[in-house]
Amino acid sequence: MKKNNTAMTQRLYRCHDCGKLTPKSATSTHCSRCGSTVHARLPHSFQRTLALLISGFALYIPANLFPIMTVTRLGVGEPHTILGGIIALIHGNMLPIAMLVLVASILVPLLKLLGLTLLLLCVHYRWQVNAKLWTRMYRIIAFVGRWSMLDIFMISILVSLVNLGGVAQVIAGSAATAFAAVVVLTMFAAKSFDPRLIWDVQN
Amino acid sequence: MKISNYLACPECDLLLRRNTPVVGEKAHCPRCRYLLHHPRTDSIARTFALSLTGLFLLFPANLLPIVGIKVLGNAHDGTLWSGVMTLFDEGMWAVALVVFLASVLFPILSIVLSLLISGHLYFNRANRHLSLWLRTLQHIDEWAMLEVYLLGIIVACVKLASMAELKFGLGLTAFVLLLLVTVMLASNFDSTLFWQRIEQLNSHEKK
Repeated sequence: MKKNNTAMTQRLYRCHDCGKLTPKSATSTHCSRCGSTVHARLPHSFQRTLALLISGFALYIPANLFPIMTVTRLGVGEPHTILGGIIALIHGNMLPIAMLVLVASILVPLLKLLGLTLLLLCVHYRWQVNAKLWTRMYRIIAFVGRWSMLDIFMISILVSLVNLGGVAQVIAGSAATAFAAVVVLTMFAAKSFDPRLIWDVQN
Repeated sequence: MKISNYLACPECDLLLRRNTPVVGEKAHCPRCRYLLHHPRTDSIARTFALSLTGLFLLFPANLLPIVGIKVLGNAHDGTLWSGVMTLFDEGMWAVALVVFLASVLFPILSIVLSLLISGHLYFNRANRHLSLWLRTLQHIDEWAMLEVYLLGIIVACVKLASMAELKFGLGLTAFVLLLLVTVMLASNFDSTLFWQRIEQLNSHEKK
């Protein structure tokens, strides 16, 4: 197979911010158009993604074990975990919404963590894969991440609305912080992973 | 070889001869199918008009009540701000910060930056901050999550519908309109064109 001509083999840097090509030189490391620092690949992409991913995995556990909110009705408090909230929705005959929350709050963060792990393994062990397919997987991971914030926004609306003292009150639980951190960390992890690394390790 | 005739795919690094598609066509990377360029009709003028509209919508969307509830005679209204403030008061400052950034600050910043950039380009005014603004806009874009927030409103309302009477405020209308404007902004934005125009303007300035 003919080796493809890449910017790297031609000793060109593509600016991460504006896309302009800069020839590799000893003197200039800045893009002449937008002034950002140019690199052949995102700097320390592998290590950064790995570090963010490990933190994400660690926080995924408290995010699912601790209560994400406590609903108090007439003085009786009921803590809910993420899964508990989904089960409550199913019992309330709101299956489509329950599915939506299940996908956004449990499946998407988990699949994101696992998908990024696979991408890192692929790069580290130089797996020979269908790079086009794996790049598409990366794109999906990078795109869906933001939708996991759904639960956090829902809680922020509930705590401000259901704030009626003794009658009814919703209080955010400790899992909310952990969950928000998981979403933010995995978004940063996806952003710091450079998909060009997948192509670099293919022969 | 003249470098400006070439471009590299950001996701697979393939070096390609620059071939600017006409409006309505898309240029994909032949190797990884990345969407390299999708020119839009009057991208700069539309971005200017849309971000101006967005600027006006920011005020009602942020200040007017979005949803209100009524339980046993107690009424309560919620705005974008009140969620952030309540979380902060409960000591959940990290969550409050994330909600504030994603639903208030970044949407505002992204509208203001779009307006500044497209305004300068539309009236052919050079400004040495143009590249910094566009770079910032590209970086914060992903963190402005109005559409996810709307889904959060819907889920919260479904949860509350059984236990309380819901009232939808004018703020919700403004919020949905603002969301539409940001979606249209994103779909009319041609970053390749914007960078080329910024380069032109700034090089004229230097001469």
